[in-house]
Amino acid sequence: MSDDRDKAPVHATSPCLPRRAFLSRCAASGAGLAAAALHQRLALAAALEGGGPLAPRPGHFTASAERLIFVFLTGGFSHVDTFDYKPQLATDQDKLVSAPNLRETGTQPLMASPFKFTQRGQSGLWISELFPQLGGLADDLCVVRSLHTDIVEHFQSTLAMHTGSATVALPSLGCWLSYALGTHNPSLPSYVVLAEHLPYAGAQVWANNFLPPDHQGVRVVPGDEPVPDLRSPARSSTLAELEAEMLRTLNERHAAARPEDANLPARDNSFAVARGLMREAPEAFDAARESAATLAAYGVEPGDNRSFAWQCLMARRLAERGVRVVELIDTGSHDNWDAHGDMQAHRPKAQRVDGPLAAMLADLKSRGLLDSTLVVICTEFGRTPWTDAKGTKGRNHFAKAFSSLLTGGGVRGGITYGETNEHGTEIAADPCHVHDFHATILHALGLDHERLTYRFAGRDFRLTDVDGHVLHNIFS
Amino acid sequence: MHTARRRIHELLPAAALLVLAAVLVPAVVRAAEPVDVAAAGADELFELKIRPVLAGTCFKCHGGDKVSQGLRVDSREALLSGGDSGPAIIPGDGAASLLVKAIQRDEAVSAMPPDGALPAEVVADFRAWIAAGAKWPAATADDVKADAFSAARHWAFGPVRVSDPPADPSDWAQGPIDQFIAARHRATGVYPQPPADRRTLVRRAFFDVIGLPPSPDEMEACLADSSPDWFARLVERLLASPAYGERWGRHWLDVAHYADTAGDNADYPIPEVRLYRDYVIDAFNDDLPFNEFVREQLAGDILARDSLTSGQSRERYAWRIAATGFLALSRRYATAPFELWHLTLEDTLDTVGSAFLGLTLRCARCHDHKYDPTTTADYYALYGIFASTQFPFAGSEEFASKQFPRSGFVSLLPPDVAAPLMARHAEQLAALKTKTADFEKHDPLLEHARQLEAQLEFQRQQAEAARASTGEAGGFGKLSEQTEELLKSVRKQHEKQLATLQRDVRALQMCGLPPDVPCAYAVQEGTPADVPIQRKGDPGQPGEVVPRGVPRFLDGGVPIAIPAGASGRLQLADWLVRPDNPLVPRVIVNRVWQHHFGRGLIATPSNFGLRGAAPTHPELLDWLTARFVADGWSLKSLHRLILSSQTYQMASGYDAECAARDAENAAYWRFERRRLDAEALRDAWLATSGRLDRQRPGVHPFPPIRDWGWSQHSPFKAVYESNHRTVYLMTQRLQRHPYLALFDGPDTNHTTDVRTSSTVPLQALFALNNPWLAEQAAAFAERVMAAGSDAPSRVRWAYELAYGREPADVEVAEAQVFLERYSAEIVKTAGDTAVREREPWQSLARLLLTSNEFVYVD
Repeated sequence: MSDDRDKAPVHATSPCLPRRAFLSRCAASGAGLAAAALHQRLALAAALEGGGPLAPRPGHFTASAERLIFVFLTGGFSHVDTFDYKPQLATDQDKLVSAPNLRETGTQPLMASPFKFTQRGQSGLWISELFPQLGGLADDLCVVRSLHTDIVEHFQSTLAMHTGSATVALPSLGCWLSYALGTHNPSLPSYVVLAEHLPYAGAQVWANNFLPPDHQGVRVVPGDEPVPDLRSPARSSTLAELEAEMLRTLNERHAAARPEDANLPARDNSFAVARGLMREAPEAFDAARESAATLAAYGVEPGDNRSFAWQCLMARRLAERGVRVVELIDTGSHDNWDAHGDMQAHRPKAQRVDGPLAAMLADLKSRGLLDSTLVVICTEFGRTPWTDAKGTKGRNHFAKAFSSLLTGGGVRGGITYGETNEHGTEIAADPCHVHDFHATILHALGLDHERLTYRFAGRDFRLTDVDGHVLHNIFS
Repeated sequence: MHTARRRIHELLPAAALLVLAAVLVPAVVRAAEPVDVAAAGADELFELKIRPVLAGTCFKCHGGDKVSQGLRVDSREALLSGGDSGPAIIPGDGAASLLVKAIQRDEAVSAMPPDGALPAEVVADFRAWIAAGAKWPAATADDVKADAFSAARHWAFGPVRVSDPPADPSDWAQGPIDQFIAARHRATGVYPQPPADRRTLVRRAFFDVIGLPPSPDEMEACLADSSPDWFARLVERLLASPAYGERWGRHWLDVAHYADTAGDNADYPIPEVRLYRDYVIDAFNDDLPFNEFVREQLAGDILARDSLTSGQSRERYAWRIAATGFLALSRRYATAPFELWHLTLEDTLDTVGSAFLGLTLRCARCHDHKYDPTTTADYYALYGIFASTQFPFAGSEEFASKQFPRSGFVSLLPPDVAAPLMARHAEQLAALKTKTADFEKHDPLLEHARQLEAQLEFQRQQAEAARASTGEAGGFGKLSEQTEELLKSVRKQHEKQLATLQRDVRALQMCGLPPDVPCAYAVQEGTPADVPIQRKGDPGQPGEVVPRGVPRFLDGGVPIAIPAGASGRLQLADWLVRPDNPLVPRVIVNRVWQHHFGRGLIATPSNFGLRGAAPTHPELLDWLTARFVADGWSLKSLHRLILSSQTYQMASGYDAECAARDAENAAYWRFERRRLDAEALRDAWLATSGRLDRQRPGVHPFPPIRDWGWSQHSPFKAVYESNHRTVYLMTQRLQRHPYLALFDGPDTNHTTDVRTSSTVPLQALFALNNPWLAEQAAAFAERVMAAGSDAPSRVRWAYELAYGREPADVEVAEAQVFLERYSAEIVKTAGDTAVREREPWQSLARLLLTSNEFVYVD
């Protein structure tokens, strides 16, 4: 039992007696129990005290952020064209440098950014013209300029950014947070992913994998039916209510002969939650309930239920309603930031997200939510400071350095972390591996990445594998 | 019952200690008779009671590299010298020893272990052990971990030991299984539930053995069978049904992480892999001896080849080829053929290790296994066997972008039959290529085009000349425009025909084998070679070359002999199923038990290593294992044995007293109620609606190979509707089937040994609102309405179909009230009388299909 407790430190804090008693009865059964069985018991124990696997739980220590909004810009946005200003690239334009890619190393000419950089805000952060609106919030942003990842392929690095693993799929960051912390709104999923198109690696990026399925990300497809199966086949709410009553009757009669079985009421309870979802989800996803001014600030047109602006607005609405993790994925596995041919292809992508993201941050801030919400804006890798191929104006995939943004949730604004060299081809100071990035996110949410473990296949798994260092000095 | 209960209680004394031993001691008590701990020597007290606790509980903070509070617990000396607070033990004075004070949680000292008290019996053991002098057997005094957790002592690596089933003085037991179970009942102080009633048992057996509900006729036949062996006869019928293989084959497909796609970044479909699925289903239906099943999956191609001259049927040949789909299924990665190949082979090893040996080998890819004795050398010895094997390539992004054809598929026809077809195909391809090349150069249309070009040139010159002299292009101008049009169309015609030819060439090439040679996604012998250790699991850091072989700690000092020219797969397979390998039969016997009862005798069915769970009934497991091997590795015999036991036939009732002693039901005092898994649930829905198609479907409706062009930017992704059994649904690696993902279906990327059984609101949403399920309910309602015109008889029929029982009068009345109220209400919203008549029944049908009674099996 002791091993299993270690696995779920966040579960062991409840002072509630029935659960304790229940667990201590279980304790006699020894150390070698399967993780699934343990989870089932914890779930049952939690059900006994009216909680559930998604009931909110405290982390390991005081958190600076209550919740996470994770924005994933698909395809690899270029660090040297966005948040990592490299004037030396213009000076050394066309200079041939050694250019390793996935399978071989050749030489390629360096290429200056076609985008203009300016210093923004009091802090004077260098931000390119691609993000004029976000630039306006420079003093709230922390730019990490020294991210690096392991395998320079969309699929693998997208998986890595989400699960810490570039090879086999493991549970996603959002699932770990749901597992560790539960959620505040039992009528909405704990981890909502707003994604119109599937990203690289598909649904694996929000899959619970070996974590209990309660924590899987629920993908909401922007459009008319964001959550599947929300509409009852019954013709009216009275009929639906009649059905609910009859189902209760059937189940009660069945349970009456099996009074000891906690699984039966637990299943009944899941139907009650589902009905809550049927009631609340349409309201939560209804942009029409926002004021005209708010809609205008985000750029949501009347009737719009699929633009990125709509997604950003939904992120705020869900955060407000107590959802623990909201992820926004801007595009799918094609027509994204993967600008091999011409960096100008970044322009429409940036235009699509810049205003809405800035509006979301401003909105969160004005509602007093930004302090308790960590917002991460990231991508799977950077792009080569040299051209993709001689004669093109695009850039290839680059794993050795890329940039991402953190804001809110106790992160200091107007700062940078890490540095790349004069051309942005190597990290010059304070590298931040994907594991470090994840450790830092968990830290903001009050979790010690080394203690957040789950026993699976005879091993304690972590989001950060056997590595990861928190970027402590980005926090205030 | 009452007397039996009394008698069992009288047998209780001394039992509690045994329970503890069975639970905590990794090295089990290998004795037929209960051990009297009090009479056992001090060594035994230490080995049985003290060492497991030190090793399992204390060691992780006070041993190895960890010396919390300066205290180590891995030797007597360490305990004597103690930690920051002084000596941990005072031999001879248990009560005064700090260790005892800590574990009994005296207020003055830090309570240990910090996360929860040890059972009072354990504390008493420590007190007794210290009081008796804290004797620490000398031979093993240096290292608790290396010893208590040593391979030599680990029960699972030891031989199968057959002990006599203990007599059951209560006469409850009907056979050896029950005798072992009864002994544990006595030791735990629990008493068994009465036998389940006949309807319950029939429904249980149907779902368990064939994964389908009994039809009302089948239920009726069972109830009407007055012979004493009615249940045995039912079991025979079920085992003989093709549905048996579809149910139990699925359990094996979980282990084999079956999927219909390759798992590369574009997730290419593999139309042929279904043959492996069908092979597994047929192998179960044919009761292929499990040892043969293992051999065929690892080396079916070699066995097929070696049996060519010994009267092997054409069909058997084909099935043996398809069998190695087990290996071919290894997950693919990235975009190029065989890219990140070390990860694919890692998956192969992980699956082979988990499936057959119950060992987690993957840890040893980068370093010696931290818990099991598997070394990195062992890992690469096995790795070499599969690196010497030719795997198929089903396509990936570069199939399309760089024109890498599918390759390595294996013909289902014996070589002499396939050879002429292959030759003909090669000829056809060569001819087609020649024709294409020829066409490219000598198409008459090209000659026509050249003539037209010359004409055009002439006409243009003429028109130019005319324009120069008259200022107008004149007739030649008009003519040249017409010629130009004609030329364009001739060129276009040529290009179109050429493209068709090139497409045909490509289609012939890209498939891999000729279309008229049936083939399997399977493996064959490659180039045999030993491989170097990959340091830290990095193929870029080769170390010492290790000869191919099997894990040394299991080979009994006799490495397998791999003949020159062979990969070693056949030798590996033969070694796995050799009579004295204890692991392979134990692992499968445990899996079979697990699926019958919901939990294995080992709760970690793919991990029998040192970190796996301890067996709850080690003697029973070994007895069953020996019996299984003696019965010729017959799974059906094992099913018969288990199904005929009282243990299986018990009711799923409840008893507070037993639950207080054994809340987990580890002693099997009741039959565990279970929820239908994803397949059984969907199949039951389809069966109840009358829409289930029991035929085996053909190939999935994938687009034709010549049209394939998926990439990671646009991966293959499809969900195909079907009314066939769920085992036949097309499942992908990157994109889980939405239904199977929602209802805890298997992981298609990793071997699944235990299905989770989650209860999440999204499942409830599916049950309440999903249109597909509503369709099934509508069909079910139609069946019900066809049963008669009066509501009570319809309701009765609905209950029989859904629950396998008649409703009580009160239930009929409740349903009628519901229907009436529904009808009264629906008038307000639906004008159509047919709708008014139908929808109340559809609603009731939906409720029955989603109710707990439908979803749970007692």
